[in-house]
Amino acid sequence: MRDPYLQVSGLTKSYGSVQALGGVSLDVEKGEFVTFLGPSGSGKTTTLMIIAGFENATSGSVRVGGRALSNTPPHARNIGIVFQNYALFPHKTALQNIMFPLDMRGVPVREAERKARAMLDLVGLSGYGDRWPKDMSGGQQQRIALARALVFEPSLLLLDEPLGALDKNLREQMQIEIKRIQKSLGVTTIFVTHDQSEAMTMSDRIAVFEKGRIDQIGTPQEVYRTPSTPFVARFIGDSNLLPGTVLDPDQGLVRTEHLGLMRLPNRLAAAAGAPVTLMLRPESIHLAGPAAGVAEDAPNRADVSVHTVVPYGDSTLLIGRAGGADLRIRLRGPEADGIGSGAALSVLWPASAIHAIPAHANPMVQP
Amino acid sequence: MLSVLNRGTAAPGALKPWLLLLPLVLFLCAFFLVPLGQVALMSVTEPEFGLGNYAHLTSDGLYLQVFLNTFLTALGVALCCLLLGYPLAYLMAQSSPRVAALLMLLVTMSFWTSFLVRTYAWMVLLGNNGPVTAFLAFLGWDPPPHLLFTRLSSTLAMVHILIPYMVMSLYSVMKRIDPALLRAAESLGARPWSVFRQVYLPLSAPGMVNGATLVFMICLGFYVTPVLLGSPQEQMVAGLIGTQIEEFLDFGQASAMAMVLLASTLIVLTVYHRRFGLDRLWG
Amino acid sequence: MKLLPKLLGVLVALFIAAPLFIVVPMSFSTAPSLEFPPPGYWLGYYAAYFTDERWTQPTINSLIIAFGTTVLTMLLVTPATFAVVRHRFVGRGLANLMLTMPMAMPHIVLAIGYYSYLGDLRLTQTHLGVIIAHTALSVPVAFLILSANLKGFDRNLERAAMSLGATPLRTFRHVTLPVLRPGFAISALFAFIQSFDETVVAIFISGRESETLPRKMFESIRMQADPVISVVSTLLFAAVALVILAPVVWKAVSRRRSRPDARGGEPVAKEPVPNPCAPTRVQLEA
Repeated sequence: MRDPYLQVSGLTKSYGSVQALGGVSLDVEKGEFVTFLGPSGSGKTTTLMIIAGFENATSGSVRVGGRALSNTPPHARNIGIVFQNYALFPHKTALQNIMFPLDMRGVPVREAERKARAMLDLVGLSGYGDRWPKDMSGGQQQRIALARALVFEPSLLLLDEPLGALDKNLREQMQIEIKRIQKSLGVTTIFVTHDQSEAMTMSDRIAVFEKGRIDQIGTPQEVYRTPSTPFVARFIGDSNLLPGTVLDPDQGLVRTEHLGLMRLPNRLAAAAGAPVTLMLRPESIHLAGPAAGVAEDAPNRADVSVHTVVPYGDSTLLIGRAGGADLRIRLRGPEADGIGSGAALSVLWPASAIHAIPAHANPMVQP
Repeated sequence: MLSVLNRGTAAPGALKPWLLLLPLVLFLCAFFLVPLGQVALMSVTEPEFGLGNYAHLTSDGLYLQVFLNTFLTALGVALCCLLLGYPLAYLMAQSSPRVAALLMLLVTMSFWTSFLVRTYAWMVLLGNNGPVTAFLAFLGWDPPPHLLFTRLSSTLAMVHILIPYMVMSLYSVMKRIDPALLRAAESLGARPWSVFRQVYLPLSAPGMVNGATLVFMICLGFYVTPVLLGSPQEQMVAGLIGTQIEEFLDFGQASAMAMVLLASTLIVLTVYHRRFGLDRLWG
Repeated sequence: MKLLPKLLGVLVALFIAAPLFIVVPMSFSTAPSLEFPPPGYWLGYYAAYFTDERWTQPTINSLIIAFGTTVLTMLLVTPATFAVVRHRFVGRGLANLMLTMPMAMPHIVLAIGYYSYLGDLRLTQTHLGVIIAHTALSVPVAFLILSANLKGFDRNLERAAMSLGATPLRTFRHVTLPVLRPGFAISALFAFIQSFDETVVAIFISGRESETLPRKMFESIRMQADPVISVVSTLLFAAVALVILAPVVWKAVSRRRSRPDARGGEPVAKEPVPNPCAPTRVQLEA
């Protein structure tokens, strides 16, 4: 079997008695775009800094292209980084900033300038070479920083919350832009963010960080549809988490504390009587039509009395009591028309919308 | 696990800062601490070993008088600076940025102009042929009072020289008072005077304390201006120390007075540090 | 109600301004002693200042001493500041205290110390002696300004340089040093002025051989008010005005120049401009 291009294995990092990383491992294929997603303090930036060589891991290793990096100083790693605040050199023009890594590598000036100008073209700032960083907008600085990190054809591109300082519209524009450039160069990329929508739209795969560990690595669809921990389910998208106990694993039957019987699409790996958490996305819940005629004790349905209505324009979020707990329901477009606070609804959802989060998937258990 | 941690903290990294600090630390030991120590030493060994110089300080009424005089002058100067500096700093904080910058420019210019130049300017202003005397004579004060080489002239000059410290301390605090707080107070029914007294004044208090402490401390050890403008009969400590050395070559007595002066300064600093933290004092 | 405090403020501003500007007409006065307003105007005392060795020599001495002090201070303070700001180590607080301590000393106290200590070393009445004493006095100011600049320095710039292939040494040369250049310049300027203005210690240790300008002025004011003093005062005041106004004018000019390309819309990142009014010249130098 071929070795993965970037191989991070068993990284731990302690500051005194505080453990910042508790064993982070992941493999990234060449050309892949992987996002580290997590709240601040979850270890994603620390992992990035260890890959870049600015922090030393307490234990564990980083390999790129089969070569261990632990004894390689940052300047010899050939890894391009875009920092959150861009870190453009204020005393150099845009072009000089982009030429800097080539200069450090002894590339002749003429050649360096040609390459730098080509990068300026690529990021769409052809005429801006002579600008000073302070005379450029945030979005423009961002592109220059990207060009600078890519011009020396790095073996890896690291992006540390690069869009954090931009306003919403510019952010979406830059997401598309970064993705386009990354694809056209085929550079292996790691992108750090705490913004789940950013992670969903840009990534080939997402690694969700929590408390110094990776809870789950998967495609955006996988982490959204089949989160492996309650944390992932809560952090990505909106969700209803329903505690329950397994009734019949072969039939896929679970009794939940608040919504009664649930039927899952497939059999469960847990034994009867085992605790389990079910996840139900608000948007997969539908109104039961008046003629649906579903029995009151049938599985996968509930009676809800709505107490809060939050209109989003393209959809409406309803929050109501069902079986003694809140249930969140998101209805598209006109479906929610006429539903106000106090309404009593009958809702149902397909078995395929229910995902069981295994109880053992608690990341805080020491290996 | 433990050995890894130990290696992490005791690595060459722990030595590096000391290597970087070494030249300066050695220099300060040789040319700051040792001379300072020598003053302390001289205060108990010149002309003979013992606490004689300190005993002399407490027994001779002249010295007590000078210390008291210095202390009161410093207090008065600090108070005057506060009373005069507050309206100016307030004006700067309330004015448009352009006017504030202009006033700041003036204060900065005064701040940077040598003490000697400013002292000299007051000699011109208060001299017998100066404009102030002429003005008083014009008002009918005959014969016009002798202003130079009095307590008044040295105090006035010291206030003028030290007021920039006060204005800067006050302004840096006032500038950070959120105008929304004042509007909030007003919307809650406070009249302008109450807004000032209940909100603005307490919020600007740190600047007042900072400025007053600075001015007081600098004034305690003020040498140039009292010597040049003050009355020879009402010397301040620093001036008397100078006289002891220049005229009587009495190093022991001068050193003992210097140690007391130093101790007073350090006490003010320590009290300030205990209550407010020293790092806030310097700018 | 609002007018009264404002009026008071304006009066205080006048109180601050008047004595500063009065030295200017005095310097053109024909009067041989203090007299204001001047009975007549001429440039005679300017000629006297520039030709009289009793005034030119102290001026030269002061310039030499201030220059020497600046160089020595920066050489000592630069590595020390990096150590204190960039590293966490046992004794850091102590180092911090020691570096700022000379600032809290009344200069008259140090003057006695230097008078006797540098006398023992046969360094009184020498340029070197005054440079050494002034360096000790300049260390805190230089350190405080430089460390404030260094604390504000974005370490991501260094990280970026290293990730782009610069060795630590080249990172320092190509990034750290140029970015901190204004900080170094201001720090050095303060050290220079600290030395050039220092009076008390110089009165006691500079003697005839290395007499500084402030000492000469002090003696001259004390003995007989030599009208040349008003010339020196005016020149010093003009120099201060120049140093303070130069960055203000420069900023205004460069802002006007860069205005055409600054476009609205997206926010433009701000570069911190060193503030010449930074009230860091806190010294018990009186």
